[in-house]
Amino acid sequence: MAAIAAERYTGASIKRSEDPRILTGAGRYVDDIKLPGMLHAAFVRSPMAHARVLSVDVSAARALPGVTAVFTGADLEAMTVPGPDALMALMGWAGPTPEFTLLATDKVRFVGDPVAVVVAESRYLAEDGCELVEVEYDDLPPVVDAAFALDPGSPPLFANLGDNIARTHSRNEFGDVWRTFAGADRVADFHIDVHRHQNVPMEGRGCIASYDADLGVLTVYAATQSVHVSRIAIAMRLGIEAEKVRVVAGDIGGSFGLKIGASREELAVAAASRLAGRPVKWVEDRNENLTASGQAREESFDVRAAVSNDGDLLGLDVKMVVDTGAYPGMGAMVPAIMEAMLPGPYKLAALGFESTGAITNKASYVAYRGPWASETFVRERVLDLIAKDLGLDPVEIRLRNVAPRTDPPAMMVTGRPLVGVTSKESLERVAQLVDFPAFRRRQAEARAQGRYLGIGVASFIEAAPGPRSPEGPSGPMGMESMRLRLEEDGIVALFTGQMPHGQSHQTTLAQIAADEFGVPFEQVRVIVGDSAVVPFGLTGGSRSATMTGGVALHGARQLKAKVLDFAAHLMEASAQDLLITDGNIWVRGDPESALAVRDVARRAASEQFGADVDAKLEVEATFDGGEGGWSGGTHCAIVEVDVETGIVQVERYVAAEDCGALINPAVVEGQIRGGIAQGIGAVLLERSAYGDDGSFQSATFMDYLMPTACDVPRIEIEHLETVPLDADVNFRGVGEGGMIVAPPTVVNAIEDALSPFGVRIYEQHLPPARILQLIAAADSGQ
Amino acid sequence: MKLPPFEYEAPATVAEATDLLAEYLDEASVLAGGQSLIPLLALRLARPEVLIDINGVDELSGISAADGWVAIGAMTREYVAEESKTVADTVPLLAAALPLIGHEAIRSRGTIGGSLAHADPAAELPAVARALDAEFVVRGQSGTRVVPAAQWFEGYLTTSRRPDELLSEVRFPAARRGTGVSFQEVARRHGDFAMVGLAVSLVLADGVISDARLAFAGVSDVPVRAAAAEDLLAGERPSAALFDEAARRATEDLDPPADLHGSSDYRKTVAAAVVRRGLRAAADNAERQ
Amino acid sequence: MVDITLKINGATRTGSPEARKTLADFLRDDLDLTGTHVGCEHGVCGACTVIVDGRAVRSCLMLAVQAAGSEVTTIEGLAPDGGMGTLQQAMWDSHSFQCGFCTPGFVMQATAFLSDHPDADEQQVREALSGNICRCTGYQSIVDGVLLAAERNRQR
Repeated sequence: MAAIAAERYTGASIKRSEDPRILTGAGRYVDDIKLPGMLHAAFVRSPMAHARVLSVDVSAARALPGVTAVFTGADLEAMTVPGPDALMALMGWAGPTPEFTLLATDKVRFVGDPVAVVVAESRYLAEDGCELVEVEYDDLPPVVDAAFALDPGSPPLFANLGDNIARTHSRNEFGDVWRTFAGADRVADFHIDVHRHQNVPMEGRGCIASYDADLGVLTVYAATQSVHVSRIAIAMRLGIEAEKVRVVAGDIGGSFGLKIGASREELAVAAASRLAGRPVKWVEDRNENLTASGQAREESFDVRAAVSNDGDLLGLDVKMVVDTGAYPGMGAMVPAIMEAMLPGPYKLAALGFESTGAITNKASYVAYRGPWASETFVRERVLDLIAKDLGLDPVEIRLRNVAPRTDPPAMMVTGRPLVGVTSKESLERVAQLVDFPAFRRRQAEARAQGRYLGIGVASFIEAAPGPRSPEGPSGPMGMESMRLRLEEDGIVALFTGQMPHGQSHQTTLAQIAADEFGVPFEQVRVIVGDSAVVPFGLTGGSRSATMTGGVALHGARQLKAKVLDFAAHLMEASAQDLLITDGNIWVRGDPESALAVRDVARRAASEQFGADVDAKLEVEATFDGGEGGWSGGTHCAIVEVDVETGIVQVERYVAAEDCGALINPAVVEGQIRGGIAQGIGAVLLERSAYGDDGSFQSATFMDYLMPTACDVPRIEIEHLETVPLDADVNFRGVGEGGMIVAPPTVVNAIEDALSPFGVRIYEQHLPPARILQLIAAADSGQ
Repeated sequence: MKLPPFEYEAPATVAEATDLLAEYLDEASVLAGGQSLIPLLALRLARPEVLIDINGVDELSGISAADGWVAIGAMTREYVAEESKTVADTVPLLAAALPLIGHEAIRSRGTIGGSLAHADPAAELPAVARALDAEFVVRGQSGTRVVPAAQWFEGYLTTSRRPDELLSEVRFPAARRGTGVSFQEVARRHGDFAMVGLAVSLVLADGVISDARLAFAGVSDVPVRAAAAEDLLAGERPSAALFDEAARRATEDLDPPADLHGSSDYRKTVAAAVVRRGLRAAADNAERQ
Repeated sequence: MVDITLKINGATRTGSPEARKTLADFLRDDLDLTGTHVGCEHGVCGACTVIVDGRAVRSCLMLAVQAAGSEVTTIEGLAPDGGMGTLQQAMWDSHSFQCGFCTPGFVMQATAFLSDHPDADEQQVREALSGNICRCTGYQSIVDGVLLAAERNRQR
């Protein structure tokens, strides 16, 4: 693989430049910001799942001392432009969209739907004011079940849609579905459910909106995955020119897909700041975050699998229903990615897929780390279920079905080439790292003593960014831009639209640029988080390693060429003879000639040069992903299930992964472990729970249970040797993989533990009570 | 989730506190450790007119042993009781339960009296108090009463403390020679409230069980003594069959609540398992004394 | 409003918070010590952990007025002049954190724990930290940072 210039930093676990401020309490999160004259907002929220709003009386709230203003849905509707959810617009959604307002006007559609916003001198007073707002509701029958939502008889949540069907992703077929199923030895039918759970970043959503009436400029201090996407969303909805909106973000306490664009509440706060004439801050509390910020993953699948008696998975035919909640956004868009990814790294010959989105009286379905993850859950569950029916072991069936790496590469039946995929190697590596025969012996001994251990594996691939496509990268997930500048003080500045919220970009991108340009790590600064200053970008989709790592690499190279051309004039040498190492520019073979980069920069900024000398040491670089590539791997979990209480402990967890070349191994491993923790949480602890009446039952951390240090074991990570595809950029994304593949890994292990009871698992959420139910049901032959 | 407004009083003595309680009665809440009350205030589920903060009433703290009893002042912090040699030596069941209460930071502020006055049926201390027949000393303007544990817990988050009374002290009997204890807890995660918990204490003398105490957490709106199981165990020798039967008797009449974490049937099933495990552990513990 | 005087990070500070204001909000709003973070406001996530009179406490579960006369240490006060103590340095070296929001709570809880349990093993560290929630890391890097700090403390 082509070496990067000095390679001092890339590939090493360089300590993060973010950490000194993080570790000393000097981080700046939205709620840490105080502006002169700032007011605080709190929302009046619906306690009903589905109701008409008959009246909203804010008079008592307005009269409370300390309350500055109270705005209703009607007040804000008058000053906003109707439109769809920002992420839907970004992704180029063309279908019919439900029309909805920032705050509920005529109807509330889920428990927590905001109805009015109170602006006061403090959050305490704003909440006091909220209690004084009197709303008259007329109860409507709730639509809480996706199946009921699809029934044309269910009361429509949106008058303009007429029914509760968000979007039909009409059936697509790949390969010869009919023939594959007709010719298969066996066809198995499954119904698989994935439950509703959610992002839960430790910092909730929030912003401070500050409208300067004199300049007509709205500044929003935000927590967002893209300052530009937020800017555009806010501008669109508030009817302000995009150039007159500035979004600034500092440190962000996690997001995992939640904080993209602008939520209805953030837009309402922006509108309120215009009306109030003072800056307004809103930071959601945990109650709001759990109830109203959005939820994910509630999908159900009817799956048919065409199988040979030897264990070949020949074809899948999948019908999905997504519970998109009220105010649908991302949920209705997930099907297309799921469909594309369902074959995984396997030799699947045929796929049929269709999906329907159901609109229900629940919080909106939002993007959550690997939004398409259920394709891996379904596929990896099906492989295990088939293996059990055929008496095959889980590694064996996967090795049988995995597409070997060939040249030309095998094609996924959905169209993408499996170029450079190391799934087979990852399965083999896991089998080496985990001594399966020894485990089976231990398992048998334990069973004899009434203890139930189980082992599970699952494999996945992730398009992070995926192999180069003939059409090139497209849309907002496409071309990556970066401005690189050699500052007057010698700092190599990288201006990127990436918006790190835990990804450590300020470290990783600096590592790449430092190596490529030739300066010490400390001499590179990564600038993020100001829409007035950075180019367009979005952090998401596990794209930054390749796209931004790549543009940093190529951009640094381009900047270096420019700087050397300039230095050549100063040093009266040919640019080709010049090197930059360790912050100095020198003539090859003549160390005495060295000039500090800092001095060259200073001179470029302060001296006059002729028209033939380009002293503007800045480049605008773009990168299209190069050859791209897949990330992926195989995970393995060993669990113990206490069959008297249903409590599950994950005893051991091993991940063999390939995310291309590593920029910073510690950062990569942190991302993987964090995703796995979320996967363990999803299976054992986390559920966004609604009652039959649409009431929300997991609105605090007493009921929405998060995994802790006693729930997540040490996770052993093995980095596979990757297949380099590109001459320079072989970093691939790793942010979402852990969360995609951990749930099936753990569920497969639990089913293995419970196999003496004949348990088969067709769902993802397995709290203790459910484990006992599954055992009892299997015992009684259901 | 900001607290609602309230009047705030910070008495320095028990007399001042009881005067305030007599004045405000049901309109007042008593603030001890705050680990249960402050979340309720933050969620605006509790709306007292007046908050009476007794953290400044120094006479309410302290642990002393006398006449076969250990008296613990209501404001004694849980961590102090956890570190107390007196408690460890003389009330081993309490010592076993204390580390299971939440997390260290909760025990830094939470108090013995506060937890018992709050009376969450899923909490550890009510089960311990019920198992050991602890005594609750309440003081009011009209004088002092001693309430036995059997009469203290009246319902969900409800005790027999009258609105004008302050729980000032809880007394636990010192364990007899040959006592073995266990506190079993089946919780979703380390430090969580029990879905089902069990406080067990028994005495083994010459291999024969006497004075068996079993009290459940999480199976009702109050801690529940498993009297039928206790009667069965008296005079018997420990055995798996005995413990199985004790588990059956302890749970057959239970009708536990259902919530997000478990159905009624689930809790009943688990209750039987914790009886078996608790008795085994307590018997082992007694044998090692 | 209740007038209070207390010691914060070694300095005497005064304030007049409403009785209902939590210590967490008092630190953040009245004293501009925004290093202590608010993650749940009902005492479960631990992000608000500070040290009061030598004990780790959840500052969202204390009223500011209850801290009158106490000595409070926040994340800002662990090391002088924005420097880093042994634990913070060990966590930096161990890549303990990602988004940083849970960090002050973990650092304060671990500080209190290590001072009482300098020779804790991994399981004990995990249990001690099980009342602090992190969404980013899966905890291993945090545990490693704490164990490394303990090791370095022993070597000194």
